[in-house]
Amino acid sequence: MYADRLHAVVRRLVDDDHDAEEVIQETFLRAWRAIDKFNGDSQFFTWLYRIGVNEASRRTARNRKRGPVVRLDDQVDPADDRPGPAQSVQHGDLRRVLEQAVRDLKPDYRAPLVLRDVEGLSTTQAADILGIGEAAFKSRLHRARLEVRSAIREYLPEDDHP
Amino acid sequence: MMREALLHPLRFAGDHRFTRAQASNYLEDELDAHSRERVEHHAHACPPCMRLLASLRRTVAALRTLRDGPSSSLPGVSESVLARLRDEPARDTGRDTGYAGG
Ligand SMILES: [Zn+2]
Repeated sequence: MYADRLHAVVRRLVDDDHDAEEVIQETFLRAWRAIDKFNGDSQFFTWLYRIGVNEASRRTARNRKRGPVVRLDDQVDPADDRPGPAQSVQHGDLRRVLEQAVRDLKPDYRAPLVLRDVEGLSTTQAADILGIGEAAFKSRLHRARLEVRSAIREYLPEDDHP
Repeated sequence: MMREALLHPLRFAGDHRFTRAQASNYLEDELDAHSRERVEHHAHACPPCMRLLASLRRTVAALRTLRDGPSSSLPGVSESVLARLRDEPARDTGRDTGYAGG
């Protein structure tokens, strides 16, 4: 379902539920106004996502200008309660750290990673949505993965076999 | 293990950079046979690159699991969108039905 997936993507690109809701509203309004320009599903899907991603990045840029957003609900305290590598890691811990690592990415790197690795879109489709070439897309995706990997590294089991 | 690095330091360094830059493409099987072999050959002689490939693969696998996680729902969006549409200036007659005929 377009709407659910679009919301999942947008929610990861903006700061909170309120922003996500406004971005989705704006996206659907613009889609509605231009609906008669489209006659193919995949073209429409790409276009809808592109609007959503652009709106989300405009929204976060605006928020950055206003100052940092304080999120009391789900901050990760790096010094506090992280289990060491030797401790058994609860699935919930990895998930929490992973979500935070994705949020900490710069928008230019976050969007490729969310579209490709979380949502599972193809490289071609995701690059098209972001309006960048595939080479640029792959390089941003790789950078994003490396950053996430560094952030969650101690939560991954050690294993030398790829 | 590091014999390769001692025998051919420049080539080793080049392969090391190549492997780190192409790790994602390697994991997605997007390299040609030659590049693929270059990455594999190097990784077997370079423990840090072997670990990079392994942990990057796990990172991508972990990211895939986020998709099915609890995502906050969108209460009331369709209602608010409809409300805003009702406030829009009137659209051209016939435009609403132009979708199918486009
Ligand atoms: Zn190496």
